[in-house]
Amino acid sequence: MAWTKWSYMDHWVTETPQGPQPPSFNRAYMDRYIKQLSALGFKGFDTFFFYLPMIEGMYGSVKAFEHFLQDNGFEKITGIFSAYPYATKYTAPHVPETHDRIVADCMATVRAVEGLSVENFIVMPSTTYFQVEPVTDEKIKIMADLWNRVGQMTLEHGMRTTCHFEFWGAIRTREQLDLFFRYTDPRYVYFFCDTAQHTIAGVDPLQMFRDYRDRCTGFHFKDTHTVDEHEAYRTPPDPELMAPNVTRWFYEMGTEGGLVDFPALMREIVTSGYDGWLTVEHDKAELGGGSYAEATCVAKWYIDNVLAEAQAEAEAQLEAGR
Amino acid sequence: MRDTLRWAYALNQWNIRMDVFVRHEDQRRALKTLSALGFGHIELAAGTGRWDNLGRPEVIEINHGSPEGFLAFLRSCSVNGVSSMFWDPGQPVEEEGWAFRSTRNRDDHAAIVESAKPFVDFLAAIGAEQLVARPVGSAWMQPPLGRDDIAAIGEVWNSVGKVAAAAGVGLALHYDCLSAVHTADELRRLLDATDPELVGLALDTAELTIGGIDPVAFYEERHERVTHVHLKDTRYADTGEEYRMPGAETTMLRGGAGRRIERWFFELGTEGGLVDVKAFVAALRRHGYPGWVVVESDHGGNPAELAMLNSWYLQQELSVART
Repeated sequence: MAWTKWSYMDHWVTETPQGPQPPSFNRAYMDRYIKQLSALGFKGFDTFFFYLPMIEGMYGSVKAFEHFLQDNGFEKITGIFSAYPYATKYTAPHVPETHDRIVADCMATVRAVEGLSVENFIVMPSTTYFQVEPVTDEKIKIMADLWNRVGQMTLEHGMRTTCHFEFWGAIRTREQLDLFFRYTDPRYVYFFCDTAQHTIAGVDPLQMFRDYRDRCTGFHFKDTHTVDEHEAYRTPPDPELMAPNVTRWFYEMGTEGGLVDFPALMREIVTSGYDGWLTVEHDKAELGGGSYAEATCVAKWYIDNVLAEAQAEAEAQLEAGR
Repeated sequence: MRDTLRWAYALNQWNIRMDVFVRHEDQRRALKTLSALGFGHIELAAGTGRWDNLGRPEVIEINHGSPEGFLAFLRSCSVNGVSSMFWDPGQPVEEEGWAFRSTRNRDDHAAIVESAKPFVDFLAAIGAEQLVARPVGSAWMQPPLGRDDIAAIGEVWNSVGKVAAAAGVGLALHYDCLSAVHTADELRRLLDATDPELVGLALDTAELTIGGIDPVAFYEERHERVTHVHLKDTRYADTGEEYRMPGAETTMLRGGAGRRIERWFFELGTEGGLVDVKAFVAALRRHGYPGWVVVESDHGGNPAELAMLNSWYLQQELSVART
C-alpha cells in the first residue's frame, strides 16, 4: 500500500499582480495553493510560525484553516516550524540570557495551535555558525538546555520539539550533532532529518536516521547538488543566498546531479518500522527560473514512481523475512 | 485519471514562445507534472522549426529516433501516450515554404491534403486517435463566408478525413472564437457540409462561449458529431465583435485594443467562469461520449499551477479519481 502520510512544507512563491509572492498574498491565492497541493494527494501541511497570524486573518482562525484543508482532502496541520536563524541581543539559543524570551515565544506559537493535533514543533536549534563560533561543547550544552525546556513545555501541549539542523548552523558536523543529542533529554528533544541540509554539511542523512531512529519524528525530503567543501557555511551574514560559489543549494527530488539517495532512505524508513509523516520541502525553488508548482509536481512524481517502488521492495523483503 | 471518460492534457500551455520548452529536461518536467496530477495522455500541437521539437513529426523523429522512441520518452515520465494533435493548415510553416493556404480556396486543397499526411501517419504510428484541425482562418483576414465557401471548406476536410480514416485516425474540426466560421448557424453549415463518417467536431467549451455559442446546448444538439473535446473556461464573451478587429490574435486575445482583455482562457473552477463545466461533463456522460476530453489552459499563466488547479477541479468537483 502506498505511503499516505506525505505532507508539504510551506515555502511556495506564486505569481501575483504585485510580482512573485507567497500564497498568503491574499485568501484567494491561499485557497488556490491548498487546492493545488490537494490535487497531488498531500495529506499533511507544515508551515512557519510567522504565517499563523496571517492564516488567522484570512480564515478567522487556524482551526478554520484546518477545516479548509480537510475540505480539500488533507488530514491536518502536521508541523509548525519555528526558528531564530540570526542571533540578536533578544534571541540567541547559545546565549542563556535570551532563553526566557525564546521559551515565551515558543509558548505563544504553541497557544496559536492549541486544540489542533499538530505533531511536530520543528526548531532550528542554533543561529548561523559565524555568530556562534567558536562552537564549543559548552555552547552546545547551553543550546541543548534551551531545547530541553522548550521540549518539556511543548510536550505538555501535545507536540514534540524536534530539531532541524541547517548546514550553516552551529550544530552541523556529526560530532556536534552527537554531542547535542547527548546533552538533550530524549523524552523532550527529537530529531528531524533534513536530507539536503545534512548532505551539504557532509553528514550522511541515512546514517543519522539509522542512529537516531528512536528520536526521529520527521523528514524534509529535499535534494542538493553540492557538498560544502569550502566552508561556505561560515559566510556572513548568510550562506544560503550569499555563498560565493553556490547560488542554489536545494533541489526537489529527482533532478540530475542530486546527491541524496532517497530510495535507500525510503527502504530504511520502511525497514525501521517508522510510520510517521514524510514531508516534501522546496526551499528557493524559484532560483534559476524554477517554479514551486512544477517542483512540487516533479517531487510527487518521484514519490509515486521511484519511492513507491523502493517502499514496495522493502516491504517485500520484510514479508519474506517473516 | 480513473473515470468512464478519458482525460488528457494539452501541452501547448508550456510552449508559450518559440525559444522555450525546447530542452528534453523541460519537457520531462512537464510530463512528470501531468503524470503526478493524474493525466496519462497528452495532446500535442503542430508547430515549425528546430525549437518546436514536439510540433512536427520529422522533428520529433530527429529528437527521438522514431515514433517508438518518442513513446518511450513519454513513458519514461509515466505518460502512456498521445490522445491527439492540433494542426492549423492555414498557419504558414517553414517546412511548407511558409506557404499561406486557405481551406476556402480550392486551389490550395491538394497541398493541404498533402500537408496533413505526415501528421496522420505520425498519429497512426503512435496510436493517437484524433487529428484536431482548425477548419478555417480568422474572420478579420478574409471576406465573409458565402455559401460556396462553406462547401469548399467541407470538401477539403472530407478529403483530409478520408486520408486520416484510411490510417485509422479521426479528424475533428476545432471551432475557435476568431474563426471565420463564427456563429452557431455557420458551424452547423460547416458540419452539414462534411461527411459524418469522416469528419467530427472538436468542441472547445471556452472558445464556443467566447464566440457566443452555449457549449452545453450545442453539444446536446450535435452530440453525435462531437468526437473530441477541449475543456477550459473563460470569464468573457466577445459581445462586441472584437474578433473582427484587425490582428485579433493580439488586439483581442492579448488585449491590445477593444476592451483590452489580456487573458481570455481560464482554468476550470475559475471565479466568474462562464462555462457550466459540470453541466457539460454531465451531458458527455449522459450521451456516453467515447472520445478524449482534453483539459487545456491555453497560455493562461504558470502551466504547472494551472494544471494543478484543473486536476483539483476534476477530483473535487467532478469526482474523478486521480489514480
